[in-house]
Amino acid sequence: MARRTLVFAALIAALIAAVVCSLAFGAVKVPISTVIDIVLGKGGSPTDTQIVETLRLPRTVEAMLVGAALGVAGAILQGALGNPLASPDVIGVTGGAGFGAILIIILLPGSIALLPLTALAFGLLAAALVFAFAWSGRNRGSVGKVVLAGIAMLSLFTAGTTGLLAAFPERAPSAIFFIAGGLTSSGWRDLETVWPYFAAGFVFVLFLIRPLDRLALGDDVAASLGSRPQLIRLGAGIAAALLAAASAAIAGLLGFLGLVVPHVVRMAGGTSSHTFVVPASAIGGAALLAGADTLARTLRAPIEMPVGPFMVILGVPLFLWLLRKAV
Amino acid sequence: MIRRVSAPWRAQLALLATACLLAALALPATGSAAPPKRVVALTPFAANTLAKLGVAPVAVGQTLGGAERFSPKLKNAKVLPLSHPNGPNLEQLASLNPDLVFSSQTWAKGNEAMGELGIDVVVQDPRSINGALADTFEIGTIMGRKHYARDVLQGMRKEIEAAEKGIEKRPKVMLILGVGRTPFTFLPNSWGGDVVSKAGGVLLTGGVKSGSGFERISDEVVVAEDPDIIIAVPHANEDDIPSLTEYLRSNPAWSSTRAAQTGRVYISVDNSLLQAGTDIARTIRKVRSAYLKN
Repeated sequence: MARRTLVFAALIAALIAAVVCSLAFGAVKVPISTVIDIVLGKGGSPTDTQIVETLRLPRTVEAMLVGAALGVAGAILQGALGNPLASPDVIGVTGGAGFGAILIIILLPGSIALLPLTALAFGLLAAALVFAFAWSGRNRGSVGKVVLAGIAMLSLFTAGTTGLLAAFPERAPSAIFFIAGGLTSSGWRDLETVWPYFAAGFVFVLFLIRPLDRLALGDDVAASLGSRPQLIRLGAGIAAALLAAASAAIAGLLGFLGLVVPHVVRMAGGTSSHTFVVPASAIGGAALLAGADTLARTLRAPIEMPVGPFMVILGVPLFLWLLRKAV
Repeated sequence: MIRRVSAPWRAQLALLATACLLAALALPATGSAAPPKRVVALTPFAANTLAKLGVAPVAVGQTLGGAERFSPKLKNAKVLPLSHPNGPNLEQLASLNPDLVFSSQTWAKGNEAMGELGIDVVVQDPRSINGALADTFEIGTIMGRKHYARDVLQGMRKEIEAAEKGIEKRPKVMLILGVGRTPFTFLPNSWGGDVVSKAGGVLLTGGVKSGSGFERISDEVVVAEDPDIIIAVPHANEDDIPSLTEYLRSNPAWSSTRAAQTGRVYISVDNSLLQAGTDIARTIRKVRSAYLKN
C-alpha cells in the first residue's frame, strides 16, 4: 500500500512539474512572475497574455487530457484483452483516425476545420468495424478475434493513408506532424469539438474498473462471480475507442503512450489492480505528454518538433529500467 | 642527371602521341559540342526558359498547380506526370529518347536512374531571383543559345527593376506553406521568401534558418512578431480560398495579429510563390498589388 501511495505521490509531483514547465516555457520568453500573474488573472502585456492564455494554457490542458485518455485507454485494453501488447492501435482506432485526418489534409484542404471531427469519426468507425467482425461468427468476442480483426483494420486504414500520401506527395509535409503526433496551438477550438467524447469515455471507464479486476482472474472465474466477460471486453473496447479517437483528433497518432504508460505504472506500483493502474496511468500519461510537449516546443525554439519522438525519448529509458528490474 | 629513354620506348611514345593526336582531331572539342536536340524539362522554370529561348522541349513535367504557368509556346509538348522522389515514369521518359533532361533536386532518386539510362541530367531548381537569372543563362549556354539568353536576361532584368520601383511601404509579412494545423514558414532562402522581399515585404521568420527554405515555427513567434500581412500558400484550389481564409483568420494564434485584425490574411493558390518561374516581374507586381499594396 505504501509503495502505491509513493508511486501516486511521485506521479502527481511529475504532473505538477510538467504543467508548470508547460506554462512557463515556450518559444517566446515570458518571465515566470508574469506567467503567474496572467494565470491568476492579475494581467500582463497583451502579447504575453495572448501567448499564455490563448496558446499555452489550452495546449497544456490538451496535453493533460490526451495523455490521461491514452494512458487509460491502454490500461483498460491490456486488462480486457489480457494482452500486454494491447493499445489503441489494436482496436484499429489509430489507423482509422489517421486515415480520416489525412483524407482532409490531402483531399479536402479547404475543409481543414473539420479535421478533428473527421479523425474522430473514422477512429470510431474503425473500432466499430473491429467489434462488428470480432462479435460475429464462431468464438464471438474472443481475445484472438478482437486482436486479429484490429490488426486487419489497422492494416486496411494504414494502407489507405499511405496510398493517399503516395498519390499526393507534394501535400505530404502538412500531414507529417499529424502522423508523428503533435499538439497544436489551436486554442480551445478542438477541445470544444471533442470534449463530450472524452467525458463519455472517462465516465464509462469508472464503471469498468471493478469488472476488469474480476476479468483478470480468468473468464471462467469472472463468469462464476456473475460477470459477463464478453460484455466487459466490448465495454472496454468502446470506452478505449472513444478516448483514443478523441485523442487522435487533437494530437495525431501517439500510440506509444497507450502501450507503455500502463506497464510503467504496473511495474512501479507492483500491482495489476485496475483501481490503481487506471488512475495512475491517467496521471502518468498526462505528465509524460505535458513534459514531452514542452520539450518539443522549446528544444529547438522557435522551431516546433512533433511530440511523438520526444515522448518516446522520455518514456523508453524509464520503461527499460523498470523492465530490467521487473525481470 | 638527365634520364634517357631507350630507343624502343621512344618508338612506343611516338606511336602513342600520334594516336592521341588523331583521336583529338576525330572527336569534336567539348566547347563546340552540338546542343542537345531532344530535351525534356521537368520544372516549369526550365520549360518556360526553353520556350523563351525558342527551344521546343519534347516533354515537360506536370506542374504542382496545373498547366497555367506554362508558356503558350509549350502547348504541343507532352506533359509527364511526376511522383516523389522518382520524377517521371522512366519507361515513359526513355520512350521519348531524350538527349538531356532538365530536372530538380526534388526528383533526386529519379535523376540517378535517368543517368543510368544514359540520359544527361542537369539539375536546376532556383530558389532565388538571382539564381533564376543565372540558371537562365546556363540553360542558354547548354542549348547553344547564349546570345538569345543574353537578350532574354536583359529583358527580364529591366522588367524586374521596373516591378521593384516605387515601393512606398515595407510591411511585415509572414509567408506560410500548407494549411494543415502545423503550417511551415517560408524563409529568405526560399523562392517565395525572396520574391516577397523583392516586392518590398519584410519577411518574418523568428530568426530561424534552414537549408530547406521552410521550417515549422512556434505560434508564439507569430503572436510576438505580429505580422501586418499573412500570405498562405496551400496546395488547394480556388474554390477553397474563402473557407481557408476564414480558418486562418480565426486561428487563435493569429487572430490577435494586425494581419487578422485588418483582414489582411491572403491565400495564394497558383504556386507562383512556391516554384520558381520565368514570370518573375509579373509575380513581384502581383505580390505588391494583391497582397502588400505598397
